[in-house]
Amino acid sequence: MLRRLGLGLAVAAAGIAAGFAPAKAEILKIWGPEQITDPVIADLWNGLKADFEKANPGVTVEFMVPTGTISNGAVQAAIQSDAGPDLVLTNSGVGRVGIVAKAGLVVPLTRYYDERGWKAQLYPWLYDTLKGQFGGEIYEIPDGLDVIGVFYHKDMFAEHGWTMPDSYEGFLKLLGEIKQAGIQPLTVGPRNNANGGHLFGNLLQVSAGRQVVGEVLSGKRPWTDPAMVKGAQRLVDLVAADYVQPQMVGLDLDAAARLWFTKRAAMMVAGPWFTNNARKAGFDMANAGYATMPSDIAGESLATGGVGWSWMLPKTSRHPDLALKWLDYILSDAVMTRRASHQSSWMVYPRALSGLKPTQPVLASVFAAADKGVGYNPSVYMPGNVLEAYMQVIQGLIGGQIGAEAGMAQIDGQMQQAAK
Amino acid sequence: MSRRRSDRWRALGLLPPLAFLLGPFLWLLASSLKTEAEIATADPFSAPDRLMWANYVDAWRIGSFGELVLNSLANVAAVVVLMILVCAPAGYAFAKMRFRGSEALFYLLILGLTVPIQAIVIPLYQLLSGLGLLDSLAGITLAQVGNGIPFGVFLMRNFFRNVPHELLEAARVDGCSHGRILLRIFLPISAPAVLALVVISALGTWNDFFLPLVVLISPEVQTLPLGLVRFAGTYSTDHRLVFAGTVISFLPIVLLYIATQRRFTEGLTQGALKG
Amino acid sequence: MTVLPDSAARRARGGGRLLAGTARPGGEGLRAAIPFLLPAVGLYALFTLLPIADTLRLSVTASDTGAGAAAGGGLQNYARLAGDPIFWQALRQTVVWLVLHLVFAGGLGFALALAISGLKVGRIFYRCAFFLPHVVSLAVVGVIWSKIYDPYFGLINGALYTLGLDSLARGWLSEPFLVLFSINIASSWQGFGLYMLLFIAGLQGIDRTLYDAAEVDGATAVQTLRHVTIPGLREVMTFVASLALINGLKGFATIWVMTQGGPFYRSELLTTYIYKLAFQLQDHGRAAALCVVLSLMAIAITVGFNRWRERVR
Repeated sequence: MLRRLGLGLAVAAAGIAAGFAPAKAEILKIWGPEQITDPVIADLWNGLKADFEKANPGVTVEFMVPTGTISNGAVQAAIQSDAGPDLVLTNSGVGRVGIVAKAGLVVPLTRYYDERGWKAQLYPWLYDTLKGQFGGEIYEIPDGLDVIGVFYHKDMFAEHGWTMPDSYEGFLKLLGEIKQAGIQPLTVGPRNNANGGHLFGNLLQVSAGRQVVGEVLSGKRPWTDPAMVKGAQRLVDLVAADYVQPQMVGLDLDAAARLWFTKRAAMMVAGPWFTNNARKAGFDMANAGYATMPSDIAGESLATGGVGWSWMLPKTSRHPDLALKWLDYILSDAVMTRRASHQSSWMVYPRALSGLKPTQPVLASVFAAADKGVGYNPSVYMPGNVLEAYMQVIQGLIGGQIGAEAGMAQIDGQMQQAAK
Repeated sequence: MSRRRSDRWRALGLLPPLAFLLGPFLWLLASSLKTEAEIATADPFSAPDRLMWANYVDAWRIGSFGELVLNSLANVAAVVVLMILVCAPAGYAFAKMRFRGSEALFYLLILGLTVPIQAIVIPLYQLLSGLGLLDSLAGITLAQVGNGIPFGVFLMRNFFRNVPHELLEAARVDGCSHGRILLRIFLPISAPAVLALVVISALGTWNDFFLPLVVLISPEVQTLPLGLVRFAGTYSTDHRLVFAGTVISFLPIVLLYIATQRRFTEGLTQGALKG
Repeated sequence: MTVLPDSAARRARGGGRLLAGTARPGGEGLRAAIPFLLPAVGLYALFTLLPIADTLRLSVTASDTGAGAAAGGGLQNYARLAGDPIFWQALRQTVVWLVLHLVFAGGLGFALALAISGLKVGRIFYRCAFFLPHVVSLAVVGVIWSKIYDPYFGLINGALYTLGLDSLARGWLSEPFLVLFSINIASSWQGFGLYMLLFIAGLQGIDRTLYDAAEVDGATAVQTLRHVTIPGLREVMTFVASLALINGLKGFATIWVMTQGGPFYRSELLTTYIYKLAFQLQDHGRAAALCVVLSLMAIAITVGFNRWRERVR
């Protein structure tokens, strides 16, 4: 009896104390950014965090270092746990966003685009693209766009008198000349990551054109369309001519980049994030050039890409209002400009930023290419469960294990299954 | 006389295979002392330019290894203690006590040995979530113990089976309960087997990556293997930190093994092989 | 030594003595045993058996939640597996992986154990040193060996080029017939340590007098091996083989870190395919069905292997 009384008093006291206690600091847990273990990048983000905390007293921002992505399920596991993040910044693209959106793990942000004026803070074409992805609902705020093209060595080219041609035949001839000079024309690292898709995406773009690729990705055209098979065949031909070597299937991105950084290879298809790899490798990008892959179709020599990284709001977020405030903050001119001027910056931001000088000369070429218009990087657009087949087929094409027609048929088969 | 010399030759003769087998280790150690640029562009099998001990400091600091090591130690300690507390009595029961269904129950336990973690990770995740044990060291410990019980019980049972039955009979005649027999007689002599269990459980738990990846979300509860994953990004990885972090990770285990290896081998002999 | 209890042998050993002075078999025995068994069986049932049962349930009820509305009732998931060429390829490759693991990891463990046991000097040193690879986590093993296998800068091809043996240089991780073999070497490098210890322990248990007798008879090293060592190691070999078979079936981490089942599915194993089905394709029904198939395989192999051993004996 006494014990029960004592317990009751204790509970009451706790309740009163809780009521009178000053509001504890609210903690906004953000999953990402993934590079935050790099001191240079941590420097930028800690600065952003400090300013946000100053503007919002009583709020602490915590960055959760990511242990994975949507592709390997780490984000999903995090969102579904009790200690999940309040906001997520991760490698995205409609395929990956689709996975978490369909699983109900992230909430639609559509109305905030109007209510909070986010709509005006993105490229108009970007907003339209987002609107068209999930039947009008938008589940993300794009943080960075990918713009994938061909990185080459300007000094090497100058020394040999090579220039980037404006036709695909010219491109093949250039590859031949590079090979003659004893240099590996192209390097690619399809093992364990998306770099195979970068090269393949470029080839599909210049062989089939933006509209066709777009229709294939939305299921309106089969992957076995002759224009697409032409792209796949070109990859096979590149391998046959030894411009891409079959043993490159065993290379991952770092190993392939090593060939480029040591100048044993002349060209590598990658995105602006490649400058980050170069910085870590101690390679000076002053002599790096970037160009879109030449095409035989007029106007289709475009970089490929899509949304690369996005912010998403988990369903289990404990501070959605704080998260929304952070998103306002991130989209503000001040923050975007600050990020873009930081020495680590390489991203293509989701809107035009006036008066900004790219942190590196090669990035000027990247941004110029983006202005021309960007084609589709299939890896980013296809449904998550077809992506695996896509990557495997690319490896098969390079390694000589499957032919162009059969390979595209396999991808098509998976697309059909996914559409059912 | 010549026997001893030939012994020495034989000992030396194993050095080349050893160098060959430990080569990758040396590579890891050497690479952990290189700068990121060296790792990325220089010949991977050259010696480091300068010994970048700073990599270890950085890995520790950036990866918050202090916290990770404590979590891993707590995890391992809890698993090891629970395994002994739980597997010794069960092993004893299977070995020395007769009861209906003992064989069937043992087969049921062996089933767990054959199942890979991928097979049960999703239901296990949902179970832990339902029990509110997700994202906690307690939760992961219980899951790891549950998964390790087949091997632990197997080891202890085998060891106890080799203990002469006369010991048991004499004690029973004296009126000892099974509990006292286990505590007073069997456990004290089972140090080698317990040690084998300790080392194998510790090693497996220390390096466990897959289950913690899915279960431990908050940085405050994460274990060492997860710390290494933090250094990897979508397109670029801080290799120098991964390598230094790896060396930091396996040092304690190496020390544990060297310290216990003689009795550990003894325990393996009697726990796994005899009977 | 068999993995499964050998009740016949137990009875033969214990005989009548087992019953004298101990608890009566049956009810009383169970009641006394329960407190000893409950914690272990309880934890095991909750955290292992329950998920296994759930997986079994999923395999006959779940549909592929991420890829459309195909209904999954009954044995449909199993049927879809049967019609999936990747499944069959993964199955074949799993068997190959198993055999390679047995040969490489088991074989290396055996060879080194023999070499170390024959030493008078440096035995402890080598026993420790050769065990070292075992403490490295499999993920890191994958990273290290990927660098070794790099076709341009890796150790193997680099050494071959230096020695002028260019033609032997290969794409270790890119050639379809080599990739499984290459990854397995990496995995066996890490895995042989435990087997080596088990063999060392087993060798210690062989009666010294047998070796002396062989020496007196003038047996060569090979003959000693064949007639003294190997028969004496029979039990150990069986145990190691059982363990290696199970470990081989569970192989996942090294493959995942090195190739994720590529190139073009040439290193796909049942375990990696389970992972992909569950986490990437969100096809929980087929993933669960595959888990059941894998477990049944493991049980069949273990039981079959033990039956064969008993028959040989």
